[in-house]
Amino acid sequence: MRRAKKSAGRAIIYVLLLFWTVISLFPIYWTVTTSFKVAVDVTQGHMIPWYDYTPKWLGWRSLGLSPDTIFTESTVRSEFLFRFQNSVILSVGAAVLGIAIGSLAAYGLTRFEYKFGPWRNKDISSFFLSQLILPPVVLAMPFLVLYKQVDLFDTRIGLILIYTLSVLPIIIWIMRDQFAAIPHELEQAAFIDGCSVWGAFLRIVLPIALPGMAAAFILSVIICWNEYFFAALLSSTSAKTLPVMVASQTGSQGINWWSMAALSTAAIAPLALIGIFMERYIVKGLTAGAVK
Amino acid sequence: MTDVMPDVGPVVDDQPIGIAMHGVSPERRRAGRWLVWLATLGLAAIVLAQILFVSGVTAFGFANWRPIVYAWLVWSVVIAAGQVIVRGERGQRALFILPAVLFTVAMVIFPTLSGFYIAFTDWNLSQLEGRHFNGLDNLRSLFQDAYFWNALGNMVYYVLAVLGQYTIAFGLALLLNADIHGRKFFRVAFLMPFMLSPVAVSWMIGKSIMEFRFGPAAQVARFLGWDSPSFFTTPMIARAAVMAMDGWVSIPFVMVLLLAGLQALPGEVMEAAKVDGASPWQAFWKIVFPLTLPVSVTALILRIIFELKLADIVITVTDGGPGGATDTISSFIFREYRERSNVGYGTMLAQFYFIIIIVFVTLLLSLAARVMKRYS
Amino acid sequence: MTEKTNESLIGGTADRRAVLKGAAGFGAAALAAAGPLATLSMPATARAASSNAQFRADLVKVPGVGKGSPTDADWQKVGEMCLGPTKANVQPGEFKGVELTFMGLNNQNLHNFLFRGFLKPWEAYTGATIKWIDLAQADYNPRLQQAIATKTVDFDIIEMGAPFEGDVCGKGLASPMPDWVKQQIEVDDLVNYLKPPVGTWEGKTYRVNIDGDCHSWNYRTDYFKDAKLAAAWKAEGHTGDWAPPKTWQQVNEITKFLKGKKINGQDAYGYLDPAKGWGGFGFYFLEDRATSYVKVPGDKAWLFDPDNMKPLVNNPGWVRAIQDAIDCLPSEPADQLNADPGTTGFQQFLAGTGSMLSWWGDIGQMANTSDSSVIGTTIGFDINPGSDTLYNRKTGKWETPAGGINFAPNMAYLGWGVYVMARADADPKKSKAAWSAAAHLGGKDISLWTVMYPSGFQAHRNSHFQIDEWVAAGYDKGYISGYLGSLDKSYNHPNSAIEPRIPGIFQYYSVAEDELAKIYAGKATAQQGADAIAAAWEKITDTIGRDTQLKLYRASLGM
Repeated sequence: MRRAKKSAGRAIIYVLLLFWTVISLFPIYWTVTTSFKVAVDVTQGHMIPWYDYTPKWLGWRSLGLSPDTIFTESTVRSEFLFRFQNSVILSVGAAVLGIAIGSLAAYGLTRFEYKFGPWRNKDISSFFLSQLILPPVVLAMPFLVLYKQVDLFDTRIGLILIYTLSVLPIIIWIMRDQFAAIPHELEQAAFIDGCSVWGAFLRIVLPIALPGMAAAFILSVIICWNEYFFAALLSSTSAKTLPVMVASQTGSQGINWWSMAALSTAAIAPLALIGIFMERYIVKGLTAGAVK
Repeated sequence: MTDVMPDVGPVVDDQPIGIAMHGVSPERRRAGRWLVWLATLGLAAIVLAQILFVSGVTAFGFANWRPIVYAWLVWSVVIAAGQVIVRGERGQRALFILPAVLFTVAMVIFPTLSGFYIAFTDWNLSQLEGRHFNGLDNLRSLFQDAYFWNALGNMVYYVLAVLGQYTIAFGLALLLNADIHGRKFFRVAFLMPFMLSPVAVSWMIGKSIMEFRFGPAAQVARFLGWDSPSFFTTPMIARAAVMAMDGWVSIPFVMVLLLAGLQALPGEVMEAAKVDGASPWQAFWKIVFPLTLPVSVTALILRIIFELKLADIVITVTDGGPGGATDTISSFIFREYRERSNVGYGTMLAQFYFIIIIVFVTLLLSLAARVMKRYS
Repeated sequence: MTEKTNESLIGGTADRRAVLKGAAGFGAAALAAAGPLATLSMPATARAASSNAQFRADLVKVPGVGKGSPTDADWQKVGEMCLGPTKANVQPGEFKGVELTFMGLNNQNLHNFLFRGFLKPWEAYTGATIKWIDLAQADYNPRLQQAIATKTVDFDIIEMGAPFEGDVCGKGLASPMPDWVKQQIEVDDLVNYLKPPVGTWEGKTYRVNIDGDCHSWNYRTDYFKDAKLAAAWKAEGHTGDWAPPKTWQQVNEITKFLKGKKINGQDAYGYLDPAKGWGGFGFYFLEDRATSYVKVPGDKAWLFDPDNMKPLVNNPGWVRAIQDAIDCLPSEPADQLNADPGTTGFQQFLAGTGSMLSWWGDIGQMANTSDSSVIGTTIGFDINPGSDTLYNRKTGKWETPAGGINFAPNMAYLGWGVYVMARADADPKKSKAAWSAAAHLGGKDISLWTVMYPSGFQAHRNSHFQIDEWVAAGYDKGYISGYLGSLDKSYNHPNSAIEPRIPGIFQYYSVAEDELAKIYAGKATAQQGADAIAAAWEKITDTIGRDTQLKLYRASLGM
């Protein structure tokens, strides 16, 4: 009796788990399969390749990424690849810069007592973290004006700086937690061996904190990769990114679902891979500081 | 913000044990101060020269303000070096935090200042003559702007929707925390939506899956007996649809936090509850929920902060419609900027909203602090 | 699937046309439609040598109508084939080292997608390289406004609509067209309404036309041939035959009639009002309804009072048009409130939902050549409906139009053009390169291809109206005669509504869209909403500057 109840309970758990798996993965499945459809398949709501429709390369051909176009010259493909490259450079660049200055600040805040006028460590931390609440619209126009003035408009470095600003609070949050978990005795031993503050940090603390940094890095890359608002506003030719390309396909002539789906698939694929293989780090980054 | 954050471990005293203070000679200190002063003067001089040039007083200057950025960089380096020269060991410690502080200040202060200036002008990009200072006009229009207050009203709904996300996320976290096979798979699957860009999600779900005619969601709705499953024509349903998409992307975030909280619960507490004969329902409310409350509060506050920026999905899917029912402040300001080139007024809206956010988040934090105190 | 339905349905198109024109029979109708066009295009035809005719015939067979959407390879091929005029004016490698920046729209498989393919061979031949600024339709206006306002024009060539000439040419940012370009692109070939003053500003020509715009009427011929619907129409006691509407009053009547009916087993719908905003472009669709009420023959002004820039949008004529839309919407598809013009045209009408639509010419082009169309050639064309009553702003009274119906086709947007910016003029070599690129895109032959295939552009030259060329490319004769006939009639209509080319015109449209969304959602009455639009327009006029706006408004209407 009790056993039956227990296995019924387990069955319910698995049903719920599967239900939510479908909710989570169906849109991705839908997008990937739609990229292999043609108009009729879309409008008739076909779902399963080879079962109720025959996959076609139409969507991928429009990106120049289908088997028959991949080796020919394609202006669309080079455009796509250029933006892809920009997205990689921007998100990795911002993550690296953010990790560099964010880790230093986080280490300082966990180990030393600072005073900037009336400000103490707690206030400095709040200052950094409060940047999180700043909505992008507040900075959008001023940045546009400012960037025109300092000639950073439509430059990769300009967008990297803004992205760094937006991921910095998160990096500091994560890294503070990481450094706080490292026992101070390690550094003290190094000091006794004659290390300077920086020497101890670089040689002893940093290697231990590397997994945490990896988590912060991956999280930053995700955030920057998906950023749309600033990219749409502050780039035109040389710094444009993939999300802008995805969004700008909504033009006047309706939607080629298959091309749209192919583009979306290509844009989310790198992150989906990161999600599958780096899930551990993402969770580590997200939960930093939340659980004691 | 700091209040809800867990303490960051003991701060080492100002005098770290085991390091001898390196003496800094008075000469070195004086030289360092001179250096800092010189650099500051130099920076001020360059900025002043450029201002004079731009305003047409002098003929010498740079084509744009880019050199000022370099000057700021040089000044920052000198300031950092000055810290070490003047204060020795303590300067070295300041060096950890200086880059982040100088960077953030430069990136936030200047735009904020110029933002406040723009907010008090009638700047519209179509003007032939350019912007004029127009005092409190923008503020006055803001108070009469039905669209702004409508969007602000919608924000209340969206923030309340975070509670729904939280409930679902808690359920999922409990499921994942149960004794199950394939936990790794389910964790990855559940986390997936979080990885995707809201713009792509708007496409995949809002425009495709929820499409009136052939979208799978519409088909399911028809199957369930809803004759005309149009998700974006009645205000409440449209809002719910936007919330659903937003939830799809953000629930994993809350779920991951809560799961970590659950996994950190000491096993003996749960055992003790079982021995006492408490039902799972009682055990949850008496033990699990209170013990995970700190994580819950952190997750909720973070989500609310992010929710206040909600824009991408609304812009891409509904553009605020029908009749403004799904408008958020950000999407409304976006339209004001993008379609009407109304820079001055749009910036005023943004600044005003920012002030509302600050007040709201401050209140929220103090409320959270009170809740935490009561439970601990 | 489309092929079969075609044959049975073309007859419908022609029949109706025949009735309209008072001629008898199918062949006469086709002739009647083609007649005036043929005369129009005579000079062009005469000029075209027979070798050229062969060339044009080969050109439009890339890839062939009915063979699916053209792809990048096709665009490059077309660009290569049409290099002739360029080679006549430019030496190989003449622009080596020149780098041009081109700003244009990034609509899926249209606009910049085509230009890139077209210009690839041009780049190879001339040695110049082109950098691209791709913009979404919605990003286009603000990006251009920003560039102008902050004085940072960072492009040499721009694809731009005529409404922006006030912003760009009025501020001296564009380069006037050199004579050799005028010859290379054969400007005389343009249809009449695109000739000056459109494309010119203060007497100078700036614009290489690549498009001509007007809203025209698209309807499903199978609906109006359906015997069951015809019987039901009679049975419900409607006046007149079951036929495509001539007036907006009939449009509403038919739309309400079709609600709840079935055709071919699917839900039948009538007219489709795009109710959701589209960065300002959605307002054109209210204009379609309104012009027939408010555009009085002989009076050019219909949007603003030409004496003081007071908006006319809340006068009884406009309010009636808004009320018509409100009355009609409940009979339209359930998701119509969230349907912007793009959704309405391409996801609904082309995909088989709804039977009547006012749109730019590309619906007709794409119905037959795009992968996203399932309606094939079951589509007929006409100029937009008129109205049996007319509001005269000068007398403040409703009048009965002369001839019974007041037609006023909406020349929405006036088409895309390619402009060279003044900044390219700093270097003569660069200037010539920029103009050569623009002329390549605006060439006579290449334009024939763009107006036949999905491109975002519609017929705009007299030489585009040679029906034989379309038939040779694979179009059906009856179909294309109707299509070109509707465009031709709209272009040359004596009472066409020309839109004002004043700075910030899209701000006016955009703010009106927000108010319309409120009206359609039932949050305001037509009059309240119209008053709110008028108030917002007054505010914009004051912000931008009433005097300058008034001056430019009058100038753009040629007053």
